[in-house]
Amino acid sequence: MQSHSANLAPPAARRGDDLRFYTLTALGLALFPFVFHLIGGYGELATKILIVGIGAMGFNVLLGYAGLLSYGHAAFYGLGGYIAGLTLIHLLPAFPNLWLTLLITVAAVTFVAWLLGLLYVRLYGIYFALLTLAFAQMVFFIAFKWRAVTRGDDGLQGFPSPSIGPWDLQTPLPSIALGPFGNLGDLKLWYIFVAILTLLVIAFVRTLLRSQFGEVLAAIRENEERSTFVGFNPTSYKLAAIVISGALCGLSGALRSLYDQFAAIDMLGVETSGNLVIYTVVGGVHSLLGPIVGTGLIMYLQNVLSAKTEAWRLIEGLIFIAVIVFMPGGMLGSFKRGAKFSLKKVLK
Amino acid sequence: MNLSLDGVLTQLLNGFILGLIYVAIAVGLTIVFGMLRLVNFAHGAFYSIGAYIGLVVATQYGLVAGLIAAPLAVAIFAVILDRGLLRWFYDKEPTAQIMVTFGVAIVVEETLRLIFGGSTHRFPLPDALSGSLNLGFVVYPAYRIGLAFAIVALIVALWLFIDRTNYGLIVRAGTRDRVMVQLLGGDVRLASTIIFALGGAVAGLVGAAASPIYSVNPETGFNFLIPSFVVVVVGGLGSFWGAVLGGILIGELQSLTTLVAPAASDIVIYVAMAIVLLLRPSGLMGESEVIKG
Repeated sequence: MQSHSANLAPPAARRGDDLRFYTLTALGLALFPFVFHLIGGYGELATKILIVGIGAMGFNVLLGYAGLLSYGHAAFYGLGGYIAGLTLIHLLPAFPNLWLTLLITVAAVTFVAWLLGLLYVRLYGIYFALLTLAFAQMVFFIAFKWRAVTRGDDGLQGFPSPSIGPWDLQTPLPSIALGPFGNLGDLKLWYIFVAILTLLVIAFVRTLLRSQFGEVLAAIRENEERSTFVGFNPTSYKLAAIVISGALCGLSGALRSLYDQFAAIDMLGVETSGNLVIYTVVGGVHSLLGPIVGTGLIMYLQNVLSAKTEAWRLIEGLIFIAVIVFMPGGMLGSFKRGAKFSLKKVLK
Repeated sequence: MNLSLDGVLTQLLNGFILGLIYVAIAVGLTIVFGMLRLVNFAHGAFYSIGAYIGLVVATQYGLVAGLIAAPLAVAIFAVILDRGLLRWFYDKEPTAQIMVTFGVAIVVEETLRLIFGGSTHRFPLPDALSGSLNLGFVVYPAYRIGLAFAIVALIVALWLFIDRTNYGLIVRAGTRDRVMVQLLGGDVRLASTIIFALGGAVAGLVGAAASPIYSVNPETGFNFLIPSFVVVVVGGLGSFWGAVLGGILIGELQSLTTLVAPAASDIVIYVAMAIVLLLRPSGLMGESEVIKG
């Protein structure tokens, strides 16, 4: 219902709309690390923001569009991180191909998300949040205790840097000084890869949410009973939202551990689940790009402030509360008044 | 593996005391949910604040002073939190309640870290209380046994308050039908605040009383909160005696699993939680209601 205006527009206008959106987004992703440099950001942080942002966007398919709060998506993020590392160590040690590693990892996490999703869809509200928390805690403690495979709290390391064809992603770009915008050589090949992937994920989520799937999901969120009466099966739509959000969080976790060449046990911890909620809500749960913006803002503040004060997480908590109380639409929500998706509905 | 009878009895006792601490945190969580439908992720913060206040005051003025100061300080904090922030969230989606109380939990945890540092503190037990009792099968620290009795007394007192006083009546009625109680002239708002403060004070008192046994750091509250969620879910969200039963069950389950499969002791309680949520989401003693929204 919310996206009628988009669908009713003539096809040519929609295509123009799409072209403008993707051009601007691509441009934004290309310029981001250099503009970011003006406020003290750096290449590595820019890359990590996009990587985690992919997970937050996936998470928001569930929180913002399906209206379900998971308190256990660290399970998918962390599993992505560990499975990617284990795949490189045990399956592909001689052939550390990035695409293959990501394919195996995302397939595995998608399967886990589907299995857990079959259970999750039975519950609502607080019970949904607590069930997801329970399973995430199980996964955390299994990984924590199963030292033979996961190395427990030492974290998993010692896997090769993956490559695409002849390129090692750790290769820095050529060193070109750009004045106040930093240096091109500050970025690794990784950034280009992650930026392209981010654009693809944005396109995927955007298309998905503008399709009938997105509309039915919103209808179920607003009134599940009524959507049943008009013939939709809410369970299968919610299951799909869980699987998609789990898969994207898995992708995000995989990229993170491949980038760091390290999978830390914290990736599976309850704090990671909480961070996904914070990033997404601060950015705006009813805008497509809100979660990425929120991820960027909080990770940037964490990085800048943690060097100056021990109180950065206190500040993060205060920002989070302030957003919930004063601007439940989040950063992007508050810029786009009367936007298609009213956040008030979810937080009401 | 120590499966001698004495070993099992000792573990049962350990589990019982751990369970009682869970109960003390979980009752506050469950009565607040029962009455206000509020899911409080900041409830663990009450335990932490109590533990730190207890630590500071007890170091200066002795254990008894600490045990008085801790629940008072936490009750005041709870009232401010309830009136100043959470009451705006009573009628909102559980999603929003979880988020805002989670934010409060972070703020409290980080404030404690700023003031007291991230390291672990432990209150040294006065010599007079550090003796042991011979129970026949085991020589057990007297303080732990005293703590167990104290928590049992506290829970009984809390129950009497809810069951026998006029405020308790409003609380019980408010759990069933808030609007009707208001129409009949009951001050639900005051009763809500009192319940919120009481639940917090109990958690704070136990936080202080347990600090000689379980050392304290800024994360302690949140670390106790998550098993407490397990407890209230198993017992039934909103049910007082459910929290008591659930606490003892979960404490024993964790403790006895340590005996047979130590690696599984942290996992097994979440398995129990998931099973209860999936098969009987209203918990062992909760009233079945339509669990929606």
